[in-house]
Amino acid sequence: MSEGLKYALRLNGISKSYDTVRALAGLSFDVIEGRFFALFGPSSVGKTTALRTITGLVKPDSGRVEINGNDVTDAPITGRGVSMVFQSFALYPHLTVYENFAYPLREEKIGREEIDKRVKETATMLKLSHRLERKPNTLSGGEQQRVALGRSLIRRPKILLLDEPLTNLDAKLRHDMRAELKRLHRQFGMTIVYATPDELEALSMGEEIAVMRDGAVVQRGTPDELYENPVDMYVAGKIGSPHMNMIKAKTGSDKTVFETSLGKIISKAKIKSAESGEAAMLGIRPSDIRFAAQGEVGIKSTIQMLEPLGDVTVVSVDTGSETLRMVVPESAATMIKPGQATSIYLDHKKFHIFRASSGQVMT
Amino acid sequence: MSAITPTTPVPGLFEIQAHNWKLAILVGLIVSVLSMFALPPEAAFWITGAMAAMVAAAFVVNAYRRHYYGGLLVAPAIAVLFVMNIFPLLWSLGLSFFAYQSNQQTIRFVGLTNYTKVLTDSLKAPENWANLTNTAMFVVLTVTAQMIVGFLLALMFAKQFPLRKYLLILVLTPMMLSVVAAGVFFSYYYDPTFGLLSYFIRLFTGEQFILMDNKAGAVAGIVFADAWMWSPFVMLLVLAGLVSVPKYLYEAAAIDRVSGWRRFWSITFPYIRGLLMLALLFRTIEAFKMADLVILLTKGGNGTMTISYHLIRIANEQNKTSEGAAISYVMLFIVIVLTNLYLYIANRRTEGA
Repeated sequence: MSEGLKYALRLNGISKSYDTVRALAGLSFDVIEGRFFALFGPSSVGKTTALRTITGLVKPDSGRVEINGNDVTDAPITGRGVSMVFQSFALYPHLTVYENFAYPLREEKIGREEIDKRVKETATMLKLSHRLERKPNTLSGGEQQRVALGRSLIRRPKILLLDEPLTNLDAKLRHDMRAELKRLHRQFGMTIVYATPDELEALSMGEEIAVMRDGAVVQRGTPDELYENPVDMYVAGKIGSPHMNMIKAKTGSDKTVFETSLGKIISKAKIKSAESGEAAMLGIRPSDIRFAAQGEVGIKSTIQMLEPLGDVTVVSVDTGSETLRMVVPESAATMIKPGQATSIYLDHKKFHIFRASSGQVMT
Repeated sequence: MSAITPTTPVPGLFEIQAHNWKLAILVGLIVSVLSMFALPPEAAFWITGAMAAMVAAAFVVNAYRRHYYGGLLVAPAIAVLFVMNIFPLLWSLGLSFFAYQSNQQTIRFVGLTNYTKVLTDSLKAPENWANLTNTAMFVVLTVTAQMIVGFLLALMFAKQFPLRKYLLILVLTPMMLSVVAAGVFFSYYYDPTFGLLSYFIRLFTGEQFILMDNKAGAVAGIVFADAWMWSPFVMLLVLAGLVSVPKYLYEAAAIDRVSGWRRFWSITFPYIRGLLMLALLFRTIEAFKMADLVILLTKGGNGTMTISYHLIRIANEQNKTSEGAAISYVMLFIVIVLTNLYLYIANRRTEGA
């Protein structure tokens, strides 16, 4: 990161085990102040434990946690300036929405009127003014979600942690809340760490994303970086929808030509670390495959299945040895149907080359 | 349950069918009444019994033929309940309006005389009131002690600590003991000559300590024994409430920087309030009926006579059955009023909160 940027949060080599289960294994990442940072990975990868470590609910077995440059690893929960929205919302069931909002302010030296003012402000902002006297269990899922959010925001935390906040909502609400969260982030400018198993949420909201695997960060970067240059097959498979096609290959003697069942594929640069004859996996995104144009030499294949998604259609084609998925515009998809013979063109420059043994990218 | 099946039509009143219970009742009534007039009492007793059995059998056959198995299955329980609880209850209510002593043959209807005697008689009323006051004192003291100790024990056992499981069993044992056993324990503890309590106090004062020689000591001894026995009951109920609080609420509260006191009142307490109320209700009713420990420890001396023990003496030892029945109905009335008051307060709180 460049000079002059302040880190709001810094995790360094955090490990945590529950009995025999290892939740975090040397997790390290840092978040620049004011960033919307997405922690992305499938369930049980350690996202929640990571967030709980930041709040102080979990004491790590090893590693350090820094908030605003202060080591808080052994500090109590209070005073970290961190707030968290739980996946389960964790609203206080016996308090009204008003009291749920006011709760985090009650212990502070804030006058009744000021509390009242801030509760009403927060309620207005989250469109909950008409629900203040209700108990949480009488609210809809989306409203409960907003109450949970409001309870965290009302304290104006420097760092806001969101643990899969949209997982319990339906698709429409999720879409609305994504926009809402981005808007709130812009409005308050606090640092947000957003844990999600949903690729779309991570890509659409995160200014920066850390992809997690087995309790550690595999790769971090902007959405574009992760999409363009995945460091291994795991990240390549997680980012991008539909998923990247993988083709088995054997490295040729000059380390630029790869033998595959689809013929020779030439990489855009010489892969120095590869050994001649080494097994490799070639990845190509469905959007980098197209139908061969007139006069172009394509790979003969049969159309297997069409999955229309509206403006684009995912087409599965069978080359005889591989099944590949490609994305074609809706207009092109109307002219084809399953069983039809066709010819496809793979853009050789767009191939990602991974070592078959480790899954790491080869350069 | 299933409706009447087409194969078993409802029989006419005079149709002779095994499941015609209306006919069975009719015949049973006529035969019983006739036998009471015509036969000696011993024979009439057995004939009436046989008629009751016949009616019961008709009901059973009827239920069976109509596939009313649910009713059939609960019938034994209801029968036992009726014979053991409801019938004696009504019978004693009836007795309270008669002048009757269980060791005498005569019985005479006297209306409300028993009640006026119990409540206003210049000789009996003061004694009854004094015993009722003693009972109220025991209710307040034992229930308070049990609620406090039980609650604190529950707070302790809600946390995890080494040997918790074994300690929990140990703490629960008093509740499972027979009251007689517990009473005997404590009468030994409190014994002036060789009791533990007296022994320890003698170490300091050099003199024998007679706990039971004044009212305060006697009451304290009984209250302590009762609290020792029943605090675990309160603890069990409160513990059930404490463990039902979702852990994430405490985590959210920790992040919201809420102090322990506020956390207890707004998060924990709502989960245990209903159970506390239940414990209070059970223990109050039980304490109101306390006689066993008093009999075992003081025999009602030194101002520890409770209304229940008084009742046992009147009804069982002095054979004043009707008067005893009247006292027990006054007690029942008080308990019902008290419990409804509790429930009213509890319900109003739940709605208001």
